[in-house]
Amino acid sequence: MSDVLVASQAPGGTDLSVVPGASGARQFWRRLRAQRAALAAAAVVALLVLVALAAPLLTAIEGQDPTTYHPDLIDSARGGVPVGSFGGMSGDHWLGVEPQTGRDLFARLVYGARVSLGVALAATVVQIVIGVVVGVAAALGTRWVDQLLSRFTDIIVALPLMIMSLALLAIVPSGFPRPVLVAGVIGLIAWGNIAKIVRAQTLTLKGLDYVSAARLSGWGTWRIARRELLPGLAAPVITYAAILIPQNITVEAALSFLGVGVKPPTPSWGQMLTAADVWYQAAPQYLLLPAGALFLTVLALTVLGDGVRTALDPRAASRLRVGTGRRRETKVGQSLAAATEGVGGSGGPGGPGGSAGSGGSGGSGVSGGSGRGGVS
Amino acid sequence: MRQSSVTARRLAAVSVSLAVAAGAVACGPEDNDAKATSGGADAKPAKGGTLTVLNSNPQQDFDPARLYTSGGGNVPSLVFRTLTTRNREDGAEGAKVVPDLATDTGRPSKNATVWTYTLKKGLNYEDGSAITSADIKYGIERSFAAELSGGAPYLRDWLIGGADYQGPYKDKKGLDSIETPDEQTIVFRLNKPEGEFPYLATQTQFAPVPKAKDTGTKYEEHPVSSGPYKVVKNENDGERLTLERNTHWSASTDAERKAYPDTIDVRSGLDSSVINQRLSSSQGADAAAVTTDTNLGPAELAKVSGDKELAARVGTGHFGYTNYIAFNPKVKPFDDPKVRQAISYAIDRSSVINAAGGSSLAEAATTYLPNQKSFGYTAYDHFPAGKSGNAAKAEELLKEAGHAKGLTVTLTHSNAKDFETSPEIATAIQDALKKAGITVKLQGLEDNDYSDKIHSAKTEPGFFLAHWGADWPSGGPFLAPIFDGRQIVKDGANFNTGFLDDKSVNAEIDAINKLTDLDEAATRWGALDKKIGEQALTVPLFHPVYKRLYGKDIKNIVISDWTGVLDISQVSVK
Repeated sequence: MSDVLVASQAPGGTDLSVVPGASGARQFWRRLRAQRAALAAAAVVALLVLVALAAPLLTAIEGQDPTTYHPDLIDSARGGVPVGSFGGMSGDHWLGVEPQTGRDLFARLVYGARVSLGVALAATVVQIVIGVVVGVAAALGTRWVDQLLSRFTDIIVALPLMIMSLALLAIVPSGFPRPVLVAGVIGLIAWGNIAKIVRAQTLTLKGLDYVSAARLSGWGTWRIARRELLPGLAAPVITYAAILIPQNITVEAALSFLGVGVKPPTPSWGQMLTAADVWYQAAPQYLLLPAGALFLTVLALTVLGDGVRTALDPRAASRLRVGTGRRRETKVGQSLAAATEGVGGSGGPGGPGGSAGSGGSGGSGVSGGSGRGGVS
Repeated sequence: MRQSSVTARRLAAVSVSLAVAAGAVACGPEDNDAKATSGGADAKPAKGGTLTVLNSNPQQDFDPARLYTSGGGNVPSLVFRTLTTRNREDGAEGAKVVPDLATDTGRPSKNATVWTYTLKKGLNYEDGSAITSADIKYGIERSFAAELSGGAPYLRDWLIGGADYQGPYKDKKGLDSIETPDEQTIVFRLNKPEGEFPYLATQTQFAPVPKAKDTGTKYEEHPVSSGPYKVVKNENDGERLTLERNTHWSASTDAERKAYPDTIDVRSGLDSSVINQRLSSSQGADAAAVTTDTNLGPAELAKVSGDKELAARVGTGHFGYTNYIAFNPKVKPFDDPKVRQAISYAIDRSSVINAAGGSSLAEAATTYLPNQKSFGYTAYDHFPAGKSGNAAKAEELLKEAGHAKGLTVTLTHSNAKDFETSPEIATAIQDALKKAGITVKLQGLEDNDYSDKIHSAKTEPGFFLAHWGADWPSGGPFLAPIFDGRQIVKDGANFNTGFLDDKSVNAEIDAINKLTDLDEAATRWGALDKKIGEQALTVPLFHPVYKRLYGKDIKNIVISDWTGVLDISQVSVK
């Protein structure tokens, strides 16, 4: 993950300085629309968000809710396994019922989406806010401020996320609203990388002519940061956010799996996985549903994130192609990248040099995939 | 009475430790050995072969002074004989105490404060030397040494001078309240009447230890065997234990242990799902394997019960154990009996049982005492909730108590994945009480934190999940620690969670302790339980049922109500 980030940041610096502003947005949409995989992923993500938002409506249509017990739908003598085939799937219970309780699995899955997506989004917002503030402050501050904030960021990056979250979640009194707490804890621990990226990007932008011009004309630091720097930071921040969301979803699931996430009876996918892990033989759908939902969500968000990065930063993407169906963009990117390398020579620092290697291996994969005609 | 939190945890974990520590006893006349309950047990049991024991918890403390067992343990009982032991029979018969090294279960005198035992003749250690009453005295004395602590607290509480005795290493003179007038006789002098002393004499502290062979804390690596097997290998602190025949043990002095296999190979440190998987596939050495500490979970049961071959290889047992809701009447609103009664009425036992693993793994409980004869089980249901709760009656009581608009309470539970005090059970209760207008907030605590909190008078929550298992199958160790007002501990581990201090209850406990007729005592314990139940200090939820797989070649399955698990001293692999 981190080398991907490092790779996207440095070339992004040169590239984005050329395409900020309103016309950039239009360009972005055009590029994004050119990627089918990203579009499909966006559709899946939109659907998931819609399902999460409409959870009460959907369960009302089904006629169920996520917490009511249905003892008549499980075989108590056999450990509480659901009665009927496919885990008790029926017109009343679209995805069957949970073993031991008979609670409706569809209802629990869609309500679980609220927790999984909500917590991940909230945590991402916290991470980005802290990361941007710290990163910009470090880049624009005095040497001392920069040193202090950068070292602090290093410490945060070095913290083991899961262990710290477990420790923090275990000591907070249980009266505190759990989803907010989980989002806060993930957000507070894992903002280090984004702060580093923002700092590096800000330093690059700071040296550009239009920023120097602003400073020379007497603008204050705050105004420069707001008016000149933040628009330029949008691309890497959005890109990184797209990577952070699926990461946060898995962290929330893992924390709930370990029993420190949201509390029962509130359903979450991670919690469903915990309860289901022993049932993989006797009631496989119980495990497959939350696992499948998690897989689909993380995959869709990752592909979308990759598409967003490509659209925002085609040159960088060309170097680290992951194979999400970029066609014309790819070719353009390749020639551009070649040009950059030829011209730039020693221009790129160590960071992008490393990523060029990985880009090379990806390149062969894409050249096969991009054989079809160009997009008109 | 119980002051160490270690004890608390041990008792709390009796179901688990039983498998490790307690365990197996079984026996009975040769001709009806093969039980109908067992799948592959049609053939006559025969000597020979190797029995493999697949366990999750290692036998870390294999010193008879340090083991905390119910009835001498399952694996330990193969090596350590005690003055008395469990009757190795199926069901209720197996909850009886029978002589082991002694000729009888003890002769009481002076109002059950003096107990005299006479040893059988021809008892030998693994080296052929004779077992004497002085060795039993020494074995008990060394359990008082601080470095060998871990056993049950009863000896310290009951023996005259026990509270101050430091063990034989510090106090060479020994404990005067244990007398050995000759090599065959041993006399115990207690500070109060204890009619259940014969039950206590089943614990491994009553195993003989030859003073000359005592190596202190290292004794557990090679304890001197008095039973049918001796320890030939103890690797990784009890993780792998190899037992072979003790040729100096004589079946003619031991009516209880059958000792069919030549070798017992105990392998521990395994994951419970691995154990059940290996037992169900039953390949190679696993065909002759059992477990003494791993039950089938709900999901595993679902799988096993769908397979005829596997279902025939499941042993079912009942250990005296109750899972319940406890109230702290010092915390509002649980000071009001009507609130406690309302919750008793509202409880949905069928959903709780489902959460605990279903009707095959748990039986509904309306009494605090386990539903077994030896405990003096007396049926009662003071606040009948039916199968799925009586919400109307509960609402009526709440209205009378001034909570017409409903009530919000916090239920404290553990986050352990044990299907006992775990979130599943708490959520089922939450759902049931909702119907009666009671909103339940859940407070899940990390397991150690939970255990510390509920056993401290200062931090005890008002409404929490609890369980209790007795050290032996009788009402005494089940009721006294929980309901005897003189056992309320202000600082330290407190088990009287309802802070009941009722003179008539205390007096009845004293009166029953004087009885040496255990059947009569059982009846009185049952009546006392029924009386205490009226106060609604607890809501009994369920009694667990143990189901365990065993390998294809295992014969002669004996599961007593004392331990609830297969007794490995009875098992044959040939």
